[in-house]
Amino acid sequence: MPLFLYIERRSLLHRLHPTVKVFSMACFFVAAFVSEQPAASLPLALGIAALIHSAGAWPNVRRLRIIFMLVFVMTFAVWTLFYRGGEPWVRFGPAAISPTSMRFALGMAFKLVTFLGVGVVFLSTTKIEEFAYALTRVGMPYKLGFTMTLAFRLVPVFIDAAATVVQAQRCRGFDFDQGNLLQRMRRYVPVIVPVFMGALRRADGMAMALEARGFQSPKPRTTFERYEFTWRDAAVMASSLSVAALYLWLWQAGWTRVG
Amino acid sequence: MVVVMGATGAGKSTLAKCLNRTVPAFQAGELTGEIEILGEVMLGQGVADLAGKVGLVSQDFEAQLFATNVVQEIAFGMEQLGVTSDDMRRRIPAALAAVGLEGFDGRDPSTLSGGEKQRLAIAATVALRPQLLVFDEPTTDLDPLGKLEIFAVLAAMRRQGDTLVVIEHETAAAELADRLIILSDGRVVADDEPARLLADVEFLEKYGVRPPDLSRVARRFELSAPLTSIEDAEARLRARYAFPARAEKVASSAAISTGSLGVPGAQAKSEPLIEAAGLDFYYDSGQQALRGVSLTIRAGEFIALIGQNGSGKTTLAKHLNGLLRPLAGQVRLAGEDVRELPLNRVAHDIGYVFQNPDHQIFAATVLDEVAFGPRNLGFVSGEVAQRVAEALDAVGLVGLEGEDPFLLSKGHRQRLAVASLLAQRPQLLILDEPTTGLDYFEQRRMMDLIARLHAQGMAILMITHSPWVVAEYAERGVLMREGRVLFDGPLLDLLLQEDLLASAHFRSPEVTRLGKRLGLAVGCVDDLAAEVAKLIPGK
Repeated sequence: MPLFLYIERRSLLHRLHPTVKVFSMACFFVAAFVSEQPAASLPLALGIAALIHSAGAWPNVRRLRIIFMLVFVMTFAVWTLFYRGGEPWVRFGPAAISPTSMRFALGMAFKLVTFLGVGVVFLSTTKIEEFAYALTRVGMPYKLGFTMTLAFRLVPVFIDAAATVVQAQRCRGFDFDQGNLLQRMRRYVPVIVPVFMGALRRADGMAMALEARGFQSPKPRTTFERYEFTWRDAAVMASSLSVAALYLWLWQAGWTRVG
Repeated sequence: MVVVMGATGAGKSTLAKCLNRTVPAFQAGELTGEIEILGEVMLGQGVADLAGKVGLVSQDFEAQLFATNVVQEIAFGMEQLGVTSDDMRRRIPAALAAVGLEGFDGRDPSTLSGGEKQRLAIAATVALRPQLLVFDEPTTDLDPLGKLEIFAVLAAMRRQGDTLVVIEHETAAAELADRLIILSDGRVVADDEPARLLADVEFLEKYGVRPPDLSRVARRFELSAPLTSIEDAEARLRARYAFPARAEKVASSAAISTGSLGVPGAQAKSEPLIEAAGLDFYYDSGQQALRGVSLTIRAGEFIALIGQNGSGKTTLAKHLNGLLRPLAGQVRLAGEDVRELPLNRVAHDIGYVFQNPDHQIFAATVLDEVAFGPRNLGFVSGEVAQRVAEALDAVGLVGLEGEDPFLLSKGHRQRLAVASLLAQRPQLLILDEPTTGLDYFEQRRMMDLIARLHAQGMAILMITHSPWVVAEYAERGVLMREGRVLFDGPLLDLLLQEDLLASAHFRSPEVTRLGKRLGLAVGCVDDLAAEVAKLIPGK
């Protein structure tokens, strides 16, 4: 279940202030978003690869390698065929391949893989609690941030529950793969009802357990982890910001675009 | 330390919830009367206001864990109550040490075993330094060793001077307590020293508490004073009857006279229903769950599958009807490879009752719930109706056909789940912990139902952690540890191997351990009495 990618390590990236991590992630997303040219997106992709390396996050890339490869190959193939522009070399009905479409497709493929890579770096180095903390620091109410972390924790729980329910119903001769689409949709009732009822019961139990541990207590809240903003955080923040600014400037000047 | 016991519906949980105000905060209803805790009247206080004073740990440990690592989990409550970070750094190791989870700091709670999760939930509450700790059935889902771990934690807290209120079905907890309270229908029916109440077998049974084996032995043999330990029981019985000398160790039940449970007799020669051979299975995480497991089940057998949490019992059971597919090895159902058989055919021969009935219940009425299986198997409505009627009759739910299954009690829902698989008229019924979460009345009713089905010729494979259930009902024992079968044979042979059982987190019932010291192989108090009667010449 590749839902939790966090890798327990003490790399420079791990030790950054949570807010800086979220801010830098946003900067890299912006930079990736405005790059079309391979000449623009490739250096960014390589930069992210270096970050993955320094965070020790290659095991996660390996875990998600199929997604990485699929995204790269599919993006490249689809944009090569369907990007309109430049002199086509070959035509297949509505599709055509041209040097421009190939360049654009390569740029897009690097761009999407960069998005994934940035996500992997962030999730490999950031605990869910840190993420929630960062969000509350930039103004999100604590309860909303906490609910989000709880959701992350519960998704695998509900996936497990659904898998168990499917098995329990199979034992009663229940076959999902029969009938047309409508019949199949209706067939999910014996799975959805128990999962949903279980979720409600769980939510009820959790609400009680949360309050029993002081959630909603009127006392001022403290945090266990002390996140200190150091010169390292300042440096990383400045670097990320300059990367984003550079790419925005290049984009403004039209240099990151294809054709 | 006060232990509260009683049947389901006696009001135990409601009482516990009143102590931290989750009743009435989370439960619609009317609360009258006053609760004074630590010198304060609680009227008007909220649950969160009390969090630092009253700690409540409930049986559902999954619903009590919110964080992604052990330290954060313990810190959570303290963060809410405004404990400083420095103070938390002192309290967290202390809380982990109190429950024996030192060194678990960075672990993801979802990777812990059931016993460890429950201990973590306790640590997270202990760290808040409440002056009153309330435990609502903290050991329900744990294996026998997991239960003992929790009881040891409770005993240590009591020694430190903590005030504990513990709701439990296990009398082992009551033996540690200073006071035992028994509830029935929302009233206190007894409030006394545990030793006195636990010795009163009729009284306990009347209120849905399973009496300790030693109390039953004392009553059966009409011993005047209560028995304090197995050693005491041995000495007192030896003083009265001529047992074989102690030197003659019981090696195997075959070597000595066996009780009524004995070796599976004629069935051992019947055709194999299921043959599993050389099963290997890995979880997605890469962890190996089964290591070359083989198991043959014959028509009409009654097998108990035991072993600690995570030893591969459920994984093995799910291979027998093709829910899981082995990486290596094969399962044959009546000679045919289960993988090749259509779903219908397997469901026809094997009924599998999951541990939690709520994983299968979905219909609007009891009738539809039970009819679901036969309808899936393609029977015509007349046949379906007959099977439903028969199944409801077998589990004693006749008359509830029109009821909403979600409004039934846990015991009824458990029986409904069994009925819905009985309606398929399987040759083998697999039950995963059929007595968990039920009180003693309901456990007896459930096991007597299973025994009746077995007497009618149905083969039973039962996964359970409950020593007395195993000893009183099963004929053959299969013990698993770390994905391997350690033992497969006559149940009493297994129950006498205390070291082997201990290595798999299991323990024989007290009466079996007592019998062994006396040179007898017995599964229950009746067996012991029967064996002792044989020793008396002329009787």
